[in-house]
This record gives sequence, structure tokens and C-alpha cells, in this order.
Amino acid sequence: MYNSLSSRRNFIKKMAQLSAMTAAAAMFPGILFASEQEAGIPNSANLDWKKGPCRFCGVGCGILVGTENGKAVAVKGDPNCSVNKGLLCVKGYHQTMCIQSKDRLTHALVKKNGKYVKTPLNEALDIVANKMKSTIEAHGKDSVAMYTSGQSTIPEGYVASKLMKGAIGTNNLDCNARLCMASAVAGFLTTFGADEPMGCYEDIDHADYFITWGNNMAEMHPVLFSRMLEQKTRRGAKIIDFATRTSRSSTASDRSILFEPQTDLAVANAICYEIINNGWVNKSFVEKHCNFSKGLTNIGYGTEDKFNFKDKPEKIDFAAFKAFLNDYTPEKVEKYSKVSAKDIKYLASIYGDPNKKVVSYWCMGMNQHTRGTWMNNLVYNIHLLTGKISQPGNGPFSLTGQPSACGTAREVGTFTHKLPKGVVMNPKHRALAAKIWKVPVERIPAKPTYHATEMFRAVDRGDIKFIWTQVTNPLVSLPKTSRYRPAMEKDSCFVVVSDVFPTPTSDVADVILPASWHIEKSGLYGNSERRTQHWDKMVEGPGETTPDAWMTIEVAKRMGYGDLFPYSEENHVEEIYNEYRQFHEGAKHGMAPLEVLKKESGAIWPYVNGKSTQWRFNAKYDPACKEGSDFDFYGKPDGKAVIWQRPYEPAAESPDAEYPFWLNTGRVIEHWHTGSMTRRIPVLHKAMPEAYIEFHPDDAKALKIRDGENIKVTSRRGSCVLPASVNKRGLPTRGQVFVPFFDENMLINDVTLDAFCPISKEPDYKKCAVKVEKA
Amino acid sequence: MKKRLGIISLFVLLFIAFITIWNFSYQQGLEEGYIPVEESTSKHYLPSEAGVFERSEYAVEYSNMPVDKNHQRLLKDYYKNRAYHGAPPSIPHPVKEMNLGENTCLQCHQNGGFVNKYDAYAPVTPHPEMINCRQCHVAQNSNTLFKPANLAQVKAPKVGVNNALIGTPPMIPHQIQMRENCLSCHAGPAAPKEIRVTHPERVNCRQCHVPTDRVVSDIAPFTRTKSDNNE
Repeated sequence: MYNSLSSRRNFIKKMAQLSAMTAAAAMFPGILFASEQEAGIPNSANLDWKKGPCRFCGVGCGILVGTENGKAVAVKGDPNCSVNKGLLCVKGYHQTMCIQSKDRLTHALVKKNGKYVKTPLNEALDIVANKMKSTIEAHGKDSVAMYTSGQSTIPEGYVASKLMKGAIGTNNLDCNARLCMASAVAGFLTTFGADEPMGCYEDIDHADYFITWGNNMAEMHPVLFSRMLEQKTRRGAKIIDFATRTSRSSTASDRSILFEPQTDLAVANAICYEIINNGWVNKSFVEKHCNFSKGLTNIGYGTEDKFNFKDKPEKIDFAAFKAFLNDYTPEKVEKYSKVSAKDIKYLASIYGDPNKKVVSYWCMGMNQHTRGTWMNNLVYNIHLLTGKISQPGNGPFSLTGQPSACGTAREVGTFTHKLPKGVVMNPKHRALAAKIWKVPVERIPAKPTYHATEMFRAVDRGDIKFIWTQVTNPLVSLPKTSRYRPAMEKDSCFVVVSDVFPTPTSDVADVILPASWHIEKSGLYGNSERRTQHWDKMVEGPGETTPDAWMTIEVAKRMGYGDLFPYSEENHVEEIYNEYRQFHEGAKHGMAPLEVLKKESGAIWPYVNGKSTQWRFNAKYDPACKEGSDFDFYGKPDGKAVIWQRPYEPAAESPDAEYPFWLNTGRVIEHWHTGSMTRRIPVLHKAMPEAYIEFHPDDAKALKIRDGENIKVTSRRGSCVLPASVNKRGLPTRGQVFVPFFDENMLINDVTLDAFCPISKEPDYKKCAVKVEKA
Repeated sequence: MKKRLGIISLFVLLFIAFITIWNFSYQQGLEEGYIPVEESTSKHYLPSEAGVFERSEYAVEYSNMPVDKNHQRLLKDYYKNRAYHGAPPSIPHPVKEMNLGENTCLQCHQNGGFVNKYDAYAPVTPHPEMINCRQCHVAQNSNTLFKPANLAQVKAPKVGVNNALIGTPPMIPHQIQMRENCLSCHAGPAAPKEIRVTHPERVNCRQCHVPTDRVVSDIAPFTRTKSDNNE
């Protein structure tokens, strides 16, 4: 079963050593078996341990990988890493087991007459470069596109951006972080003018209350949740779970409050109403550090092609904001949110109590939301009104789902509108990029082109004729794959897919490039708390597998841009990072030098005078704040954060007579993202072999659905058959079904809707209308 | 004769009609009585998670508790009063017939504690909500057998061999139906020494420990339903 180890015999030998030792331990009564086992491992196993960040989620746990004879044979938590302090989750502990999966992509494959032919990598890269060049010549720069990832390393994202925006001169670069973090980014920029959380994980050690907004941290951010549980059991800190589904996190929380999908907007406003009406506003903080604004309303859902929206912010005053909130009294909101006025007042009283420290956590529940930007703004409103922000144990904290959603997608900027520093619309930012990249400034176009969803719509329309995807699996992770799979299959678009394993996306590729996995290359990630983490290559990859950054560079060279990519194959990670660091120089975003990152388990930016900045915008901790100030939201020109007036608006599609259920999608602890890695890890696959459709027990009873029965779930887009799950892992609210999306054999995204937040362009995977029937 | 022919043919007709109708209704009756056997479409076994965090309020106490070396239970003894691994344990002490259900058993077995009379710690039940205890747990009142039998022995899972990689958290090698609450058997003074957890305060056990396939049925490795690009 676990033949992927360097040698089975060796492993057995080690286990035998271990059990002999534990047997010895058993002879001395009182000595615990497991502690002996744990203490004995590093010595008994003669392994070489190397540090790095975990490959999976955005928490960014430090791992130590044990290698022997060039093979990774063990993983443990890095006790020196302040993120996880030696603890991992089940995915983290077993991550290296996927590398040697039998269907690993070890060589380039080129489609010839409908068949994939093993091709030397050099030739495959020639084909990619020639195709890209000829497509640009025939159809213009904007006919080629690159779709990358929040799992790309910093150097990978950087060279992709440099190739597309600096060398070719097109903004056709977007990434899958658009599907998970875009609303968080838009929320940060609209409220604070600067992306990424102001606090850090150390907030957990100080907070009295943790309020999680639509966020099942016990499964999605398990190591942080463990740190919260530790504070709960040791210190009596309280966890309050505010969600649409009773999950593991709800069970472990002190209080679970359920709401009707989409009404979180109204509840957040009701909390603000209570805070203002009870006089809990931190007046001096609001006067000194906040402005009030409103934007457009009825902003649409983006379900049509070429949808366009631009918000028009307008300054308002406190009185107008207060008057607006009169529509959101707890009594009015309880009617449609199904959260009792008492619970709303309870939540408000926690935020309002000046003696209680509160951290709010959220991830996809708030971000994958057709009003995701608004929802992010609204939670910031609560923290700004009460002044509970940028202090140890007090603050809003937006979590991420991918290991470098912050480090690469957001900081390097692999979005259509982004540059490594700033946005393409800003001439100063373009000038800086042109200077560092050594390209003429006119080459960088000033207008953003396609965001993720629109990029695949453009493929469908035939506007994009060449697309290269790296480190991501869009045909499982995009919404409404029922449209985008046939789109990618069309002959009008040449598809290049770089990946480690075959996926439904590589199934439609014209060229498949074999990528190195995580520890088979060096790289840098950036986690949710602004921590930049570096790792060195630990093992050799099989066959012709090559780091993604190097494949991008090779294609760039073949297209004639060699002078812009003067990096060496052995040292390109270091060279690229040192070039990239120039973009962020200064007290507001300075990145730690590579020597520091090599030595330490990551460092938090702004890294100023050899020190990480744990709490931004607070003069006590952040050297970038104006002198003499206590708080300085320096992202905005006047140093003031914005409290936004954002109303409740309904979801893009709500249940009706024909499609009576809400469909909510998400993840499970055992699998990460589209499962292409975790499903190839036997321990994880066997614990969670396939997806399921989860019912509320009352709904299951009414529909006479038994646990395990096959159920067909259908929407206006498509359908999918899955086994029912009743009373197992979680309980959706009545009238809602929940499906995890990791299973490529049961594609729930054929069913989901590609409606998105008009401001952030992030799709809503949590709400659409479906019907269910026995299959 | 002619007259009788009429009557006879009438009876014959009636008889034929009777046979036809009887036959038809008999067939109908058969059909109504037939319930199509629906083939079970159940695919895999996903254990319920009720009770995962149930005893977490005692977790810190458990981790601070000193080990009472003289009264530790061994895994061997744990299995001694179970017919096979996973079977409900029998009651190894005398019980009065009238003391059934309610809190009679729970008095000692809900939270455990030292019992002088038996010089041992009472094991904690993982399912205190089920109070008809002796539906499944019975006393052993005799040492003799009615007839000896060849009972097939299912070996209990071993300790220390359930790790997929060196040093990784062991997988859960047993079924967890009605035993979703890990701490009741793996923590506290009644926990068998070999399986007592070193870190009960972590409480979110299934963050790191997941069930193995050996528990119910063998689960095949991950396969792609569509996989035409493997050359």
C-alpha cells in the first residue's frame, strides 16, 4: 500500500526498531507509549530534515521533511515555526506521499491526431513558444492568455507577470486566486487602501472572543483552529460560529448561530445598528481615523458575458450612515435572516464591549459571495466603529485558502489589473515596473482585460486562442464548468497545461508540461499573515519534471525575450526574488532578505530594520505610521479608513418552486482544493474516498432519502450524481444541500452558477438554486 | 336434453369466466404482493461525527492528571471482556437485576473515577446518551460453556503500526460507530496504558487522525473515471 517509500524493508526495519523501543518502554510502568514513540523518532530514524512551508492551505505551517537516499520519507511540524509550533493536520503530515503516484506526469505530452505522444521537454517548449508567437502575430497580443495560481511560488508568479505584461505587453494574466481571495483584496483596498490583514496569528493568544463568519476552521484551517481551541480550554476564550451549516467548527464552538444564505449582509448591518444605538461606538477612534462613504447599489451579478461595473464612491457623514441603518434593526433583520434578534444583540454586545478583545475570522463564506466586497467592508465597519483593530487580540482577519494566495497572487500581482507594486491603471506604477523590468513603459497596457471567469468566457467565444494554465485545475474549480469544459475543448483555442498529475484540465490540453512538485524545487510562498517563507529543493523530481518558473523562462527565451530573463537554472529562485524585492522597498511593504528567510521559518512584511511588523497601522508596532499618530491607515492618502454604507441585496439565484434547495459547496479536511494531490495520498483517499451530498435530516426524511443513496442534483446549468450523506460530517440548514468540490468524478461545479461580485469579480460558489431527486 | 344443453353451456361459460377472472385476480394479487428489491446504492462508509468534541471540557484535566501507575489498565485487559474487537464489553462485576437503565450504570461510567471495591478506575462510556445499557452489555455469570465452539478469532488492531510514514499520527484502526468520542477511551485514568493519548488537550482529534480503510471494507485507490492521457 505504501510502496512510495524509499524502500519498504527500510521502513519496516525502522518501525521494528521503534516498536522494540516501545516494548522496552512498556516494561517500565508509568511511561507512556506514545511519548516514547514521539521522542524516539528523530534519533532512531537517521534522516536529514529540511524546513519549508506546507504545500496546502494558506495557514502556512512550517514543516520539516525527512529525506533519506534522496527520497522524502517523513514529515513533521516545525517546532520553531511560530505559525503551527510543531503541529500539522492530517494532510500536512502525509503530503509527500503523493509525489510517487503511478500516474505522475514525468514527461511532456503533445497531442498528435487525438493521441498524447511522449515528447522531449525541449521540443514541447518549442511548440508552446512557436504557437504563442504565431498566435500573437496572427491575432494580436490579447489573443494569448496565462492562467496561474495562488499555489504558484513567488518566482513563478513573477516571471509569468514579467512575460505577459512586460515582455509580450498584454494584461491577459489572471489566476485562480480570483476564485478565492479577490473579494478580500477588494475589501481591503476599498476600506484601507492597502491589501492584506493588519494583524497576525498571534492575535489568537490575546483574544477573548473568536467570531467566525461562514468559516469552518476546524476543517479548513485546522491548525489555527487548534490554537483557538487551546485558548478556549486553557484560558476560557470563546468561539462563536456564525454560519449556514453546522460543521465540526460549530460543534467545537461555545455558540453556533445559523443564518439564511446571503443575509450575513443584513446581520452585519444590524450589529452596526446595535453598536451605534447602544452608544458602543469608540467615538474618538472613529473621528480621528475613519471616513464614511457609500457606493452604487443594485450592482448586478455578472452572469452575462462582458459584464462591466465600476463603483462610484461618494462621501457621506455619520448621521447619514446612522439613518441608513434604521432599515436594519435586529427585529427587522430576524425576519429574513432567521437569526433571532436576541442572537444579533448577543453578537453586537460582544463587539461592543470595550473590555473584550475580539477577532473576526472568515474565508470563502464571505469571499465567494456576489456581494463579497460589501461583506468584507461590513465586517471592517464593525471593527472600525468599535476601534477594535490593529491591536494584539483585536481585529478582523481574512484567511486564505492557498499557500501563496497572498505571497504570489496578491503581492506579486498575477491578476489582470495588477503589477508587482500597484495596478496597471496607475502610470507611476507602470513606470516603476518598466524601470525594474527594463522594458519601455508603453509596452505595459493601462487597461485590465479578463478576470478569471471572463477569461474562460473569452475562450468559449473564441477571443482567446491560446491559454497556458499553471499549478491549477480550472475544469474542476471554475464555476459552471458545464460551459467552460466544452469551451476549452474547442479547436479555436490551443491549451497548454503545466501540472504534476493528470487532471480534467490536462485532459483537454494540446500540450501537457511536467511540473516539479513543491519540494522538488526551491521556492517562496506567502501565507495569510503576511509571512514570506522560503524552502530549498529537497529531492529530485522524476523524469523531465521542471520547475514552472524555469519552463516559463525557457518559453520566454524561445520567444526572443531572453535579455529580460537573464536568470540561471540553478539559481533563478534567488535571482528572481532579489529582483522582485526592489518593487516593495520601504517601510510599508519591505520584504525580508533571502538570507533571513533561509535561516528563519518565515518573516512577516513590512520587514523593517531587521524586524517583522506584526500589527500594521498601529504606531506602537508599525514604523511606517506617521510620527506622533496612534493609528495611521496609510493606505489612504488622508490616513483614514473608510466605513462603507452597504445594503442587503438578494443572491443572484434563490430557491424557487422548481429548484427548491440552496446549493452550498466547499471542502473537507481530508482533501485540498480539487484533490489532484490529496486523492493520490492513500491515507486521505481512504478516509474520504468520494464526494457526497449532505442533507438536513428533516429534508432527507421528507424526501425519503436514506444515507448513501445516489442522488441527482440539478440546476439550470447542469447536474451531478452523488451519494447522500445524512447526519455524518455536517448539517446544512433546512432547505440547503452541501457538496464538497474535490471529486473530479462527481463534478459539482457543472451545477454551480458563475455569478460574481461586480467589484471583485469573485464567483459565488455558496449559493445557487437546485433540485434533488433519487438517481 | 336441449334444455339441459343451455344450462350446461351457461355453467360452462360461467366456469370459464370464473377461471379467467380468478386467474387474472390471482396474477394481480401476485403483482401487488411483489415489492421490487431495490439494490442498495450505498457506496462508502462515512462515520458519523456526533460526539467528536463531547468530552473536550475535561481535556485539560486529563492532560494534567498524574498517572496512577498501580492501577493502569492494559490493552490486553481491555480486550479480555470483549468477544472480539468492536464487540460491546461484558460487565465484569456483579450487578443487581433491578438496577437497569437510567443513571445506575452512568453513576460510575459517565465520568469514571476510582472504585475502591474493585480497586480500579471505572471506564468511561463513549455513548452516555444510550441508557438501556444492558441491551448490549451483559454480565458474565458462569465460567462454563453450554457447548464449546470454534469461534473464529478476529485479531484486534495492534498499537504502533498504524502510521503511514515514520512518525506521522497513527490512523484510527477501529470502527467508530457509537465510539465517535475519542477521549472517553483514549484519555483519563481508565484508558488502557498503550492507547492513552499524550496530548488530550488537543481535542480536535480528527484533525490529524483519520480512519483507515481496514475498518469496514477495502477502498480502492483513487482512480480517474476519465483518464485517456496516460499515453
